[in-house]
Amino acid sequence: MNVLLLMIPLSIALVAGAAAAFFWAVNHDQFDDLESPKLLPLMDDPDDPAAPPGEDRTGGR
Amino acid sequence: MSAAGLAATSPGPGAPEPALWDDAELQRHVLLRRDDGRAEVVLSIGGLRCSACVLALERALTGLPGVGRVQINPASRRARVVWDDRCTRLSALLAAVTRAGFRPLPLDACALDDARRDEGRDALKRLLVAGFGAAQAMMFAVVLYVGAVDPMDTTTRDLFRWLGFAVATPVVLYSGRPFFAGALRSLRARRLGMDVPVALAIALVYGASLAVALDGGGEVYFDSVSMFVFFLLAGRYLELRGRHRALDLTDALARLTPPTADRRRADGTLEQVPVAALRAGDLVRVDSGATVPADGRLESAACRVDESMLSGESVACHRGRGDELLAGSLLVEGPAELRVMRTGAATTLAGIVALVGRAQAERPRLARASERVVASFVALVLGLAAATALAWGLADPARMFPAVVAVLVVSCPCAFALAVPAAITRTLAVLAARGVLVVRPDAIEALAGATHVVFDKTGTLTDGVRCSAMRVFGAGPTREFDADRMRQLGRRPPAEPDRAAYSALRMAAALARESRHPASLAIAAAAGDLEPPRAREIRSHAGLGIEACVDGRRLRLGRPAFALRAEQTAGVGDGVVLADESGLIAEFVLEEKLRADAAATVRALVADGLTVEIASGDAPARVRRVAARLGVERWQGGLLPADKLARLREVRAAGARTVAVGDGVNDAPVLAGADIGVAMAGGTDLARAASDIVLAGERLELLSTTRELARETLATVQQNRRWALGYNLAAIPLAALGLVPPWLAALGMSLSSLGVVLNALRIGRRRPPGREPLPAPGPAPA
Repeated sequence: MNVLLLMIPLSIALVAGAAAAFFWAVNHDQFDDLESPKLLPLMDDPDDPAAPPGEDRTGGR
Repeated sequence: MSAAGLAATSPGPGAPEPALWDDAELQRHVLLRRDDGRAEVVLSIGGLRCSACVLALERALTGLPGVGRVQINPASRRARVVWDDRCTRLSALLAAVTRAGFRPLPLDACALDDARRDEGRDALKRLLVAGFGAAQAMMFAVVLYVGAVDPMDTTTRDLFRWLGFAVATPVVLYSGRPFFAGALRSLRARRLGMDVPVALAIALVYGASLAVALDGGGEVYFDSVSMFVFFLLAGRYLELRGRHRALDLTDALARLTPPTADRRRADGTLEQVPVAALRAGDLVRVDSGATVPADGRLESAACRVDESMLSGESVACHRGRGDELLAGSLLVEGPAELRVMRTGAATTLAGIVALVGRAQAERPRLARASERVVASFVALVLGLAAATALAWGLADPARMFPAVVAVLVVSCPCAFALAVPAAITRTLAVLAARGVLVVRPDAIEALAGATHVVFDKTGTLTDGVRCSAMRVFGAGPTREFDADRMRQLGRRPPAEPDRAAYSALRMAAALARESRHPASLAIAAAAGDLEPPRAREIRSHAGLGIEACVDGRRLRLGRPAFALRAEQTAGVGDGVVLADESGLIAEFVLEEKLRADAAATVRALVADGLTVEIASGDAPARVRRVAARLGVERWQGGLLPADKLARLREVRAAGARTVAVGDGVNDAPVLAGADIGVAMAGGTDLARAASDIVLAGERLELLSTTRELARETLATVQQNRRWALGYNLAAIPLAALGLVPPWLAALGMSLSSLGVVLNALRIGRRRPPGREPLPAPGPAPA
């Protein structure tokens, strides 16, 4: 039974942590647009200045 | 209408000049200055259609220097940008959006949709807390139920009770707050709304459980109360999502008129000014393809305007000097010089919008019946609980408390409260998958009981014009070709008797493809695959027709009065004719093109026992033709928006419940005023904002599908209610007598709720109506 004294607070802490993470996500616009992110990987970005094709992508890492 | 739509989306010469927006006076209205010195603006984005567009737009905006946060809501077609306007000016921001292929329009700063966004976020958080809490409370409760069978010591029992209390408290106090707030509101207004009994039940069960936990006796019901809150919130959240997808009226109105106008200065040069700065008496220039910014009188010679969205008139009308042009109508052939007469709220367009608001207010409240049932049931249960308390208080005070709590829990109005939301939510999901967006969920219930359907004609039953026949005049007898034979002509050059018809069709198509006029589009479409020769020296005559040189012949295509000399027009119909200098070559018969599924939909609705009626703003003769083709007996033409609304009241006075179907601005009041308003997705924003159901993909047949599903939903709701009533009739007396152990009460409540939800999931399982089952794949018969 003693293991309960560890497990129960742990479970409550986990739930509280999950809820806190969720609140953070909601407040940081993560749930405002559920439509477009799923298409993100499908988009070509030929003129993305942050990552020109070639040397930058391979040389960076 | 389709031609008008095309013209409206192309960035015509009437597109606003972004530099104008750097005017400080104008910026005061559209910019919100944030505490950190950055600026915030809400843009209404025209041309934003899909999620991929959102990405393109986002990329265009975030690439600019100084842009901080960009939030785009594809549903409301709004973008919200926070940026440093010292690095990038508003005009540059707008120019970037325009370059990406969209039409930005800064909205008034008060349109920052904070309230709506916060409401959505709040609801999501409350729902999640309730979900987490209910799951945890249930877990701890299971221990207690097991303890009831296999006794445990009181310390362990109390520990789990207090754990249940710990997780249920945020659920009741945080997640359940909307119920308490709602109850308080309706009590202040001296009404007994749905929230009052719900809040009372939550408070009583929670309070009683707390008292038991402190007291050390009886049973606690923290799991039941958390689950109750969670289920109710889930239903409300889905409802809210649907509500937020709807457009609001102010937004729709902002998109109907252009943001700027070209005003002529005293010296004759043009300046671009915001529409808000226009005054009566100003002289304004409107280009072809642009929208008229204000009501006014035409000062230039002639033009043609498409007023189909405002009046339902299916053909673009000719306007001469001194005629009145209405704000919001589309200039098909221009340019036009306009002397402004009325602006802003005084325009005819604004008048229609005001009518929408009034119609919405007077719409009968009939759909809340389900809520009243729940409210009266909960009130009844509370009464029974009070009676139980009284009876046990007299007989055996020690057993009073457990019995009262058992009554409250076992009857916990879950099954009742869930009966409607569960069924409606399921229906909404099924409908969304079939292309029907339900904006106001209670429209489902209303639709099942509807008796009348009032259709608009232009843009709803019909969709543009088509060329139904061609008459070729020549040396021999006049020959007539129907649409099918015209298409065959276009496919391959024919043998002798049809040679003349072939060359007439070629020449007509050569001229027709030089114009965007709906009639030209229809003729070009009728020619099908035919490759027309090149037309030269093309001259377009506003409101009359087109003139050009083809293969060395000077040809005219258009109204008979334009194409033919006066003495030749005798005996020619009112269609479009093709003629050269020596006379008539061919005549094209145009008729309104019915939507492919219009006839089938009308038949299905009539077979379903509904009365179908057409109310249109178009000329009665045209309405009559369409009504005859669809087999609709009741029709009215030439109606103004207010007339349509009056007609609706007439029908309703006879006890009918009406569905209105439309797409134009002139339909908006009737859509708002009908019991159920149904808009076509391709229609105007105003019509969509005013209606309850939007048919996507321009498919009218979805209306009968929706109606069928609505009936199924209502049947399921009835089933659920009967089931909940039966369960409660059996359980409450037992609980009142103190015969139901707490674990059984909680189990009964959960199972009755589950039964209701599972039953609701059966909605839409049946095959969509009108579609035959596919033959099973198997070996082909020998």
